[in-house]
Amino acid sequence: MLSSIFEPESIAVIGASSNEMKWGGRILKNILSGFRGPVYPVNPKEANIQGLTTYSSILDIPYDVEMAVVTVPASSVLPVVEECGEKGVKGLVMISAGFSETGSAGAELEKKLVSIVRKYGMRMIGPNTLGIINKSVDLNASIIGRLPSPGSISFITQSGTLGLALADWTIDMGLGLCKVISIGNKADIDDTDLIEYLNNDPSTGVIAMYVEGLKRGRDFIQAARRIKKPVIVLKTGRSKKGARAVFSHTGSIAGSDEIYSAAFRQAGVLRVDTIEEVFDAALAFSCQPLPRRNNVAILSNGGGASIVASDECERQGINIVDFTEETRKKIKDILPEYASSSNPIDTAGTVSYKLYREMINALLIDQNVDALIVIYVHSPMTNARPPADAVLEMKQRNHKPIIACWMGGAGTEEGINILKSGCLPNYSVPERAVRALAALIKHREFLERVKIGDDVPAQRCA
Amino acid sequence: MNTILTEYETKKLLARYGIPVTKESIAKSADEALDIALHIGTPVAMKISSPDIPHKSDVGGVILNVEREEVRTTYNKIISHINRAAPDASIEGILVQQMAPPGHEVIVGLKKDAQFGHALMFGLGGIFVEVYRDVSFRVTPIDRKDALDMISEIKGYPVLRGIRGRKPANIDSIVDVLVSVSDMAEKENIIELDINPLIVNESAVAVDARAMVEMLSS
Repeated sequence: MLSSIFEPESIAVIGASSNEMKWGGRILKNILSGFRGPVYPVNPKEANIQGLTTYSSILDIPYDVEMAVVTVPASSVLPVVEECGEKGVKGLVMISAGFSETGSAGAELEKKLVSIVRKYGMRMIGPNTLGIINKSVDLNASIIGRLPSPGSISFITQSGTLGLALADWTIDMGLGLCKVISIGNKADIDDTDLIEYLNNDPSTGVIAMYVEGLKRGRDFIQAARRIKKPVIVLKTGRSKKGARAVFSHTGSIAGSDEIYSAAFRQAGVLRVDTIEEVFDAALAFSCQPLPRRNNVAILSNGGGASIVASDECERQGINIVDFTEETRKKIKDILPEYASSSNPIDTAGTVSYKLYREMINALLIDQNVDALIVIYVHSPMTNARPPADAVLEMKQRNHKPIIACWMGGAGTEEGINILKSGCLPNYSVPERAVRALAALIKHREFLERVKIGDDVPAQRCA
Repeated sequence: MNTILTEYETKKLLARYGIPVTKESIAKSADEALDIALHIGTPVAMKISSPDIPHKSDVGGVILNVEREEVRTTYNKIISHINRAAPDASIEGILVQQMAPPGHEVIVGLKKDAQFGHALMFGLGGIFVEVYRDVSFRVTPIDRKDALDMISEIKGYPVLRGIRGRKPANIDSIVDVLVSVSDMAEKENIIELDINPLIVNESAVAVDARAMVEMLSS
């Protein structure tokens, strides 16, 4: 059971150390910083590590151990895992490296490792993983120095260092995370196992992945098709060309990347091109409902920004919708005479609370509108907070997604903090806001056209 | 071990899965070629059939629109082209084939993939596939809805629907072929397959095809 890894009752750290510059020291410290269950350091050379009684073997621990984090050198891993099996450990996080990633001798060792894991019916993340985080139980069994803020985004990463740097970065962004999983060599638990587990995990609302290559591709497609939660993937290796023309046209055109794209699409998995887009989309999913269709209204205090947004909508296949007659009348009453009353709406510089509030209200009520992008362009003459207050107030009143774009540097923070506090996704430029909305729309299409099964999609903040 | 099937063998395989192919037969002599041509109806296409020659046109192995009175001489002409250009090739004979009616040329292909099983490809044929790579992919198996999506998502789809007086292609007949090829992928050991072109008007017919298959050692 994967829950033995993510929600263990008790943890042993095999290879624990007093030296926090060592893996076994660092991870032990991170576990102790939040985890509320018993933690047992294992190290034959020390009696007390970081204030805890230390055992020379896991077999010496007089209590049950559900999960073990292993940091010993590869050459010592097999006997250690054998002992974990005898002890009745259920889950392993195999930090140790020096397996299939190093060549054929390492691959042989990995095979032996997996056969021991399976012999005892254990499950294992790794080897060659940088660990896992489960914010729901404040478990940090990784080398990341701090726990993220709570949220519904779970992140699976195939690259250890890049992935963990990204996780760290999301903490700076204030993006709420649920689980961070460095998947390592996938010798036992792989992508398909993890998305199935996260699908059944009530605290995960969005699954984000950094993928270099999948194992069990067909199983992954089948599993993903049943998952109603959004799955966002950054798959690298687009630049690899298909095999040279040798026999067939198909053979020369169908490179691995084209096939991945097709597979993701059939699985209802959102493929994005950049690191930024993974988290931009994840943020929108984590706190906004899905739009019914693809008709957007754009409200901005600056014409330029709304044109940039409109152009990106065009590229993303999002419709800049025509308002109803009633809405147009309302807009004329609200806006100054010289302002434009058609979509995208430019308030010609006016940014008062009252005006944004009335405009947002009018646009959200319009039955033609499925989603709203609200842009605020900062100037020394305007205050970023009142329009943010207006968005927040109106957000409470309806079930259409609102995406915000507060542009400009110093002076916008107050407005941005208001938006964040209200779980409104905010982006620094209009293109990012539009692409985040495009992800919501695409997922809605996947739910209608690709996904199978009757589960109700989860999509709110945890 | 991988084996290349000749056009004739590939089309036999396609026909087993219900994919329409041109009427054709292998002639081992000039006289036999004429018999077959008369049976099919002239004009015919004549193509070298050899497992050693996957690119038939490159060696002068294809002559189209052959009329009844030219069949015998064309047979000998192709054989002499091959004797000159590929003297070591083992020759099965000459494929005498119904000339395909005019229509939209599309390509349907299959490629075995290590991660996902098989990928199915669809696109407009000729220069569209070679230069513009205007193609769509799906991992097999697919259903009719997937097939329709594959067809409608290529940029050249309006061409198939008929523009500027060109007759539309029967989209349903392409769907049939895509689903049949998907079915074939699940059951045969195909490494690569091109049906190029599949000519589509009121119906679809595989006019040329090649396949590389894995022979299971037994």
